[in-house]
Amino acid sequence: MNELAGGVIEIGWPQLLLSTGFVVVVGILSIRLSLGLERDLAIATVRTFLQLIALGIVLRWVFGIDSPWLVIAILVLMMAAAAQTIVKRAPDAPPGILGSSMITMLLTGFTVTFAVTGLIVQVEPWYRAQYVIPIAGMVLGNSMNGIALSLERTFADLDARVGQVLALTALGATPWEAAGDSVRIAIRAGLIPTINAMAAAGIVFIPGMMTGQVLAGADPLEAAYYQIVVMLMVAAATAFGSVLAVLLAYRRRFTADGVYLEKGYRAGKP
Amino acid sequence: MLLSAEGLGYTARGDTGPHVVLDRVSVALDSGEIVDVTGPSGAGKTTLLRALARLLPDVTGSLALSGRPAAEFAPPEWRRRVTLLPQTTALMPGTVRDNLLLPWSLKVRSGDRPPPDGSLEQALHDVGLAEIALTRDASRLSVGQAARVALLRVVLAAPAVLLLDEPEANLDDESAAQVAVLTERFAASGGAVVRVRHQRGGVAASRTLHLAGGHLTEVVR
Repeated sequence: MNELAGGVIEIGWPQLLLSTGFVVVVGILSIRLSLGLERDLAIATVRTFLQLIALGIVLRWVFGIDSPWLVIAILVLMMAAAAQTIVKRAPDAPPGILGSSMITMLLTGFTVTFAVTGLIVQVEPWYRAQYVIPIAGMVLGNSMNGIALSLERTFADLDARVGQVLALTALGATPWEAAGDSVRIAIRAGLIPTINAMAAAGIVFIPGMMTGQVLAGADPLEAAYYQIVVMLMVAAATAFGSVLAVLLAYRRRFTADGVYLEKGYRAGKP
Repeated sequence: MLLSAEGLGYTARGDTGPHVVLDRVSVALDSGEIVDVTGPSGAGKTTLLRALARLLPDVTGSLALSGRPAAEFAPPEWRRRVTLLPQTTALMPGTVRDNLLLPWSLKVRSGDRPPPDGSLEQALHDVGLAEIALTRDASRLSVGQAARVALLRVVLAAPAVLLLDEPEANLDDESAAQVAVLTERFAASGGAVVRVRHQRGGVAASRTLHLAGGHLTEVVR
């Protein structure tokens, strides 16, 4: 094994091939048990290889160029991808939420990422890719899940409460008054996984970033400090992001006159 | 003239293409009137009530209340005065009192004082619900009891026009008669009522209108 000075054991092609062997075993298992997963598993394995190696090459290139504009451009791309994913995961949401999801990701992504790199970690210069990009990745990747969950729940809950929404609107409720209960339930639902993860961190599992730092030879206590910062910022990003995304989106299910668009009144698919 | 609607038009997206539900429908109501709307199911009776309450997207035509065009009212203000009781009863989580006082929890009524418990209890008594405590959880009401609580919720809020979508649908004859009396009392106090209903005894309407093929016609008796 090639052990480096920092205590990191390098992984090369032989190790990668060996790890692929485990997936092949799972594939055989899938065929023998007729799980029908072998095709998806093969595609997913190939994607893992291609995407992560591509990421490694791109990051190596970005770290070398050291340009603030490049870092910003990459962050915007990541946020656009996150916004796209959110829209896909909330298929029942009204059309046109891509824009509000993008605004949400830009606002929470930039604010939380640079609050951490600038105020807490105090990276010099402020755009240092080695810090900014991974931290932004964690902020976006984790908050995206909560935001998608909140959005999905908002519109699912409104449809489930359609009778109450109509009764409220008929009494003179504004869209906010009619939708408020659903919005609150949805934001709570989006935040609960993050709060649970915070509560279980270090007892049930070692969080991903801390694992990575320890494997890379960092002092476990220092890695723990980093992980605390990351978990708190992910919680903050999820909370801000969910609130913002839902508040920007729920009104789209109502007409300008404040009438809830029940399934029969929606354009496109009935 | 309390409520007037001129040339209401509405086209629904049907399963087999666009389908005209309301074809230039006009209706006028004086205060004190109870107007029944009859017609085959699917004729658009509910749609007409929603149009009058400004709860129907993409409807054409004009509405006026006491001579003031609808545009002069913000939609919640209009609905506070022209209030629909939807056919499907929808009570909120909470007690019977929470539900009866719901209208006063809304911004549109923020300046008004909610009725005291005594009035709420009297109102429950009037529709045969004297045995229901205000603290009863709304989820523990029967279908017929819930329907009457929902009706009281809109009546107590004292709109100018009450739009009732089959208010007696889930009620036995005795309860239906109590609802009819409540409706009549509301009209007698100066309100107007548009009521979608299937033929049933009880309080006679001032007029009966028949909706079919998108047209509203007066039934002459």
